Amino acid sequence: MFEVMMYDGGVYRSDELFEMIEDVGGVVLQKNRSSQMLTVIMSIPGEDREEISKLCKEIGGEVKEVPLAGTEIAVVGPTLGRHHMPHPICDVAEILRRAGAVTVVMGLARGRGKNTSQISAVEKEIIDEYDACVMCLGNFKPCVEKKTDLIKDLHVPVVLVSGPKPEGVEDTYDALVTGVGRKAARMKSADERAKLDEICDTLENVLKDKKLSIEEDPLFVHPAEIKQILQDYEPIDMCLRPSPMVLHLDGLRVKIPYEENREYLENVMVYGRKLGEVAYIEPSRIDDSSVIIRIKTRSQVEYEDSQKQ
Amino acid sequence: MDVIVKGDDPFGDEAYKKLFEDTMSDLNKAVLIDRAQLVLKPKVPLFVFSIVLKADPGNKTVVDVSNVREEGGMVYVTITQERYAPDVLRALWTKYGRNKVIQQTRFDIEITGAKMAELQEMVIASGEDDLREIMGAIWRSMPEGIKNRRTLIDGGVITVIATEELMQPEMMDEGRAIHVEMGGAA
Repeated sequence: MFEVMMYDGGVYRSDELFEMIEDVGGVVLQKNRSSQMLTVIMSIPGEDREEISKLCKEIGGEVKEVPLAGTEIAVVGPTLGRHHMPHPICDVAEILRRAGAVTVVMGLARGRGKNTSQISAVEKEIIDEYDACVMCLGNFKPCVEKKTDLIKDLHVPVVLVSGPKPEGVEDTYDALVTGVGRKAARMKSADERAKLDEICDTLENVLKDKKLSIEEDPLFVHPAEIKQILQDYEPIDMCLRPSPMVLHLDGLRVKIPYEENREYLENVMVYGRKLGEVAYIEPSRIDDSSVIIRIKTRSQVEYEDSQKQ
Repeated sequence: MDVIVKGDDPFGDEAYKKLFEDTMSDLNKAVLIDRAQLVLKPKVPLFVFSIVLKADPGNKTVVDVSNVREEGGMVYVTITQERYAPDVLRALWTKYGRNKVIQQTRFDIEITGAKMAELQEMVIASGEDDLREIMGAIWRSMPEGIKNRRTLIDGGVITVIATEELMQPEMMDEGRAIHVEMGGAA
């Protein structure tokens, strides 16, 4: 059983850590270096956890739990208007990043107003590319209830974050956290930090359900293995965007143009099969500079094989 | 600054009171406001924000915000209202040049070759600028989607009536009544 954990420390002797991860058959999911500081999110076999933790401490770093590692979360608000800054969305995104998730903050083009707020089909498709969505609404109950229209057609799990508790719209979200509306200051007090932790825990629970359903019908190949196969591909290796490959629960986002790399991606071999046969490879709805790979489940691949025969 | 909130949404009323106070403090306008009344009706939606300023926003000269004395060809300025200190210094530098304006301490300034009469006429902050900034601060504290706004100004009373789509006559009437209640002209 693989476990995910995060190393947070300096770059000093970090090569020893990478060597050990490789030796035990683990995978580096994400690596962020800022000056002399380094954070590494890794997936390693459970039995080697103790050894790796020991090495992390020996080289001056610390080991942290990252329950949301390997997920990409969209934190969405009806608007990212300048006059709403600092926005609670930023605090929510930050706490999710601390838990290991890769987050994207997104505002809707016409999301403001009670009666006039809208979400476009493209915006819904963009949000559906992520593992889950955290929707942050405001302070007034009637507005929050009305604006749940924005999330009712989303296919990914939605955690609704709002000030008051909305009523009669329970079918539009998977989980609800109340007590966070529009604010004019950062969420720094003890109560507010506790609220942020609650959002993080709620999202973890929501994703647990999704993980369980994937466990029941496992993917043909784990996204981390595809990441390992693709990481030496030159356009990805040379990509200057932060985290050129982002893991999802059921696939990954690869930040290279779709048109130019489609052929390679479809034909790359995974366990003796072409990736195009065991995964859906599509351009991202944001623009054509990213590719979304959604891995098929084993049963789906078997079914498709039986149809061919 | 006394803030009265009238509304029927317990969470929203409390949150908007804090939001209004925080926004005004952040933008350094809380010191100018004597009292404020916020009427919040998100169901309509109608928002009326009415404030009474401590003083009418008029032009401020150097002598309004500092003690000035002339002695032996020098003018000595002691700033009494700290928030205008950068404006005073900027105005003096512009007129006399940096080499003739010596800042002894944070609030004490000596000027060579200046005249008392010149400082009495030197405007450092116009009332219009103040008013524009206060209105900007009120707009900023309002919900973003509430774009249809009307502003009533009478001396030191400013009332902003805002709704999302069409501004109905009864909304304007309600806003005017609050404006009058706060001391504005009928």
